[in-house]
Amino acid sequence: MAPADKWIDRNAGPVVRPYALTGGRTEQADGQVLDLITIVVAQDPALLGGRADLTPEEGMIVGLCQRPVTVTDLSSSTALPLGVVRILLADLIQRGRITVVPPLRPGDQPSAELLKEVLHGLRTL
Amino acid sequence: MVSVHSDVSAESVLAAFKIVVAGGFGAGKTTLVGAVSEVRPLHTEEALSRAGIGVDDPIAGKTTTTVAMDFGRITINDHLVLYLFGTPGQERFWFMWDELSYGAIGAVILADTRSLSDCFASVDYFEKCQLPFVVAINAFDDSPRYDPADVRIALDLGPAVPIMFCDARHSGSVKEVLITLVEHVLATSPATPDPVVSPGPPPADPPPEDPPRLGAAGFFGAPTVPTAEERWPAGRPA
Repeated sequence: MAPADKWIDRNAGPVVRPYALTGGRTEQADGQVLDLITIVVAQDPALLGGRADLTPEEGMIVGLCQRPVTVTDLSSSTALPLGVVRILLADLIQRGRITVVPPLRPGDQPSAELLKEVLHGLRTL
Repeated sequence: MVSVHSDVSAESVLAAFKIVVAGGFGAGKTTLVGAVSEVRPLHTEEALSRAGIGVDDPIAGKTTTTVAMDFGRITINDHLVLYLFGTPGQERFWFMWDELSYGAIGAVILADTRSLSDCFASVDYFEKCQLPFVVAINAFDDSPRYDPADVRIALDLGPAVPIMFCDARHSGSVKEVLITLVEHVLATSPATPDPVVSPGPPPADPPPEDPPRLGAAGFFGAPTVPTAEERWPAGRPA
């Protein structure tokens, strides 16, 4: 390999491979795939006794989930791959540390009221 | 060790919407998203492990072990966020379209009149999954100007699909596109909407035997090869 081709620092990729963060798993423990814009929020940490039982990545996610946040924002803010975030979130949901914020209305399509709110927001952008 | 390189957003997201931005390679998708929103990176490592099979050499293709894509984030108000996701252009990422389109409120197809045929797959895809969409013609300086009505014919669009010119570099222009889309979604959404059903990835290229597509390609100057009968009505010259 020519010296110019050497992978150093960031070019070498993450030191910890994604599968190491998920215990080798590539699928969510509950089989449910969280959508990109699913909103999650942490349970009250006072009720659950701190973050001692969390891995650094899980702690990072729980920290970001102190306010409702989307899966996309979590992945972007932690710089963890989307698939890793989904697997870690599924674990945290199973352990009761994180809950999924139910959509404002059942189904995939937003209500006309919310769409009008989006429209208004875009017009005043 | 992974580091948090982005600030934690201060607002509490209580409702999030997404809009898909599709279009051919170089049509200006990234420019459009960047014109109106805060662009952030998203890593989708899982994507490649499935998509890269047989395509990306797992050893030599090191840089492809992580797929980074950008998305745009527009804070509508203190509890409402709108996300703009550009579709990956490369053929091997087409499976990502299902993920991006699922639950989306609508789509923008960014058209470049220099290569209008790039839009065919997007039009087919969004029509199949019944996702409302608008066609925005990105006005490049050197692109041929066509009447929107002609583009509608060329893309074989129904009369209800909004079609408009835009400049993907200017926020005001992109804002108009998004407003048109949301208005279109409001106008077309039924009282009890069906969930978006994913039809699977679109074909890499529109099938050449598809009659409307052939006509459309001919309209924009793509070579249409005449048959022997058309070329030599009186019989092939010796």
